[in-house]
Amino acid sequence: MRCGDFKETYVRDEEIFQSLFVKFWLGVLAAFLLIFPFIANEYMLYIANMIGFAIIGAVGLNLLTGFTGQISLGHAAFIGVGAYTSAILVTRLGLSFWLSIPLAGLVAASAGMIIGIPSLRVKGLYLCIATLAAQFIFEFIFIHWESMTMGITGINVPPPSIGGFEFNTEKRFYWITLFFVVLGVIYAKNLVRSRMGRAFMAIRDRDLSAEIIGINIFRYKLSAFAISSFYAGVVGALWVFYLKVVTPDHFPLLLSVEYLAMIIVGGLGSILGAIFGGIFMTLVPEIINTLSAALKTIMPGNEAFFEPLKSVVFGMLIILFLIFEPRGLAEIWNRIKNFFRLWPFSY
Amino acid sequence: MKKIVIFLIGCTLCLGFFGISQIYAEENPVICAVHPFTGRFAFAGIHGVDGMKDAIDMANEQGGVNGKKIEFHWEDGEYKNDVGIAAFKRLYAKHKPHIMFGQSTGMTKALSPEIQDRYKVLYSAYTFAEIAASPEENPFLFIAGPTYIEMFNVLLKYIAEKDPGANIAFFYSDTEFGREPIPAGREICKDLGLNLVAEQVAKVGETDVTTQVLDLKRKEAQYVIFQGFVATPITTVMKQAKDYGLDAQFMGTFWSTEKHLLDQLGPLADEYMGVTAYSYYYQDEYPMIKMIREWNQKHHPDKADYRSQAYMHSFMTALVFVRALEKADEMGGFTPENLVKGLQSIKDYDVGGLMPPVTIENNSIPVGRIVRGNSKTGQFEPVSDWIHLK
Repeated sequence: MRCGDFKETYVRDEEIFQSLFVKFWLGVLAAFLLIFPFIANEYMLYIANMIGFAIIGAVGLNLLTGFTGQISLGHAAFIGVGAYTSAILVTRLGLSFWLSIPLAGLVAASAGMIIGIPSLRVKGLYLCIATLAAQFIFEFIFIHWESMTMGITGINVPPPSIGGFEFNTEKRFYWITLFFVVLGVIYAKNLVRSRMGRAFMAIRDRDLSAEIIGINIFRYKLSAFAISSFYAGVVGALWVFYLKVVTPDHFPLLLSVEYLAMIIVGGLGSILGAIFGGIFMTLVPEIINTLSAALKTIMPGNEAFFEPLKSVVFGMLIILFLIFEPRGLAEIWNRIKNFFRLWPFSY
Repeated sequence: MKKIVIFLIGCTLCLGFFGISQIYAEENPVICAVHPFTGRFAFAGIHGVDGMKDAIDMANEQGGVNGKKIEFHWEDGEYKNDVGIAAFKRLYAKHKPHIMFGQSTGMTKALSPEIQDRYKVLYSAYTFAEIAASPEENPFLFIAGPTYIEMFNVLLKYIAEKDPGANIAFFYSDTEFGREPIPAGREICKDLGLNLVAEQVAKVGETDVTTQVLDLKRKEAQYVIFQGFVATPITTVMKQAKDYGLDAQFMGTFWSTEKHLLDQLGPLADEYMGVTAYSYYYQDEYPMIKMIREWNQKHHPDKADYRSQAYMHSFMTALVFVRALEKADEMGGFTPENLVKGLQSIKDYDVGGLMPPVTIENNSIPVGRIVRGNSKTGQFEPVSDWIHLK
């Protein structure tokens, strides 16, 4: 009797969904995602949307940092570029939200390519500092180009709509977020299997060797910056139409650091890792907040002690994950899968 | 069979009675708040939580809102927009409040469209920004004090009276908080015949302000008004001004009229003035302050030595909440419309000296008082009476 998952052709080896079990569980996940808005309350849907934005942004950054090895601290700035672009296109030019999303992505991608130019000369921490400049430059533009960005006052935008149907609640917006998450993840998953994806990994592993085997470093590094920033631009556009307002303080440097933390905790160079990272970094603080709210009811008057503990607990969790699994949550997931692959006869 | 029938009838009656009692149960008013209990604004949030809770507990002790006890729930927003908004939505989903309190201007701006269209709750926050005092655009938002522009107006009015045509300089941070009243401040200077000679910008926490101080000296600024800072670089600017021989009067708005700034200024405290919206904890000649002190002695003995202006701000906001609830209840219930009408009809409300009798105008309380630091006592002392703007 055949027992195991045999890949006897190259086509089977390259399949995204490689076994019946994977297809089954993905079907269950899809069903859950479709049912979720009908069983969740407003707050849960708000968090679901935030997780969606985090996933898109983290997948984009992982393409640049995890797959191509280019560290960027400008991700928040590119999110801001996307947010302002879509807000300006909709409020000034009267474009529809749906058209503003790809345009926001394209403008952010252009910004990303410009900021990515130093990557041809500098690497590692030096590149990190070069991309940090994007944060300061764009933050300055958001605040001081008042005729376009409305400065500190920000821009209010109407909710997206199709015909007369407005996506003005968490539940309705959830469908938009879900659509872009699925689209973003599928594109990224396919991209890393393509020539471009392999070129990214070759550059990450050894750029000199990559160049010798005929990979155009200039083209692929800038492509990685463009694609990553495109993702960031889309997140920015979604974020601004979700909140219905954009102000410069929505895109601090800390946001870039958070995105880096997402892909490191989730797993560098893994699409699944970016998804896990996005979920972890958004959901865990909320779970801790909910627990702390419960503690407030049980032990009133001790808030001064346990409220600051939230950050300590969250920080500890990140450290523990990194110590016990430096390759991130995606690797933990792989180990769990491997355990059950032969369970209960794992001899 | 008979027993089963009796049991079922009994159950039906119980459920019916329970249902009727639910229908006729009186609706208790619910207030929810997101405070920056941790994060970089925690210096205000830690006291602010107690201020709001104490005012609500006092009201409940005195019978609540026409006999209905006020429910109060709060969460920490960490002074981050996304965390604060999540806490807002969590509190709303869980408690369906009539009134909400937010942690910052950023959170207020982000939520104002939804408060207007969906949530329809009376809302205030740790903000003195104009957005919360524009009843035409945002009728549910209000400030239990003056806006930053009104604070600038009070300061400039005071200067114009004391020293007509004086040279003014604005020294602000490159943040939303810092820039908010500047355009209006320029106009007010023109209207009052004051000479705006300089505008200096610095980062919050900036340590090298030599260029700005030298520029202030070159332009012969007589009054320097800070906006958007809590302590640093106010202390640095004042120390360097002394070194470079700049003889100017330094002033600040609400968040820079806290006691800790005077402690940091040391002997320079005497040269610092500001505009505040509420009486200080040590001004116990006022009945409300006396009551607050007694309450703190009883309920928070470990914190009873001093309560900051953030405490007073939250306390005052809660007093307005309670008053609006009372008025809404008299109008027939805690509906959003009644709460707004109730808020806007508050007139000459005696708050025992915490502020002068309160009248809500354009969803704010446009009144302030000039105070001066005292290095010996480490306290701000009033140098003017309450200045009303409208």
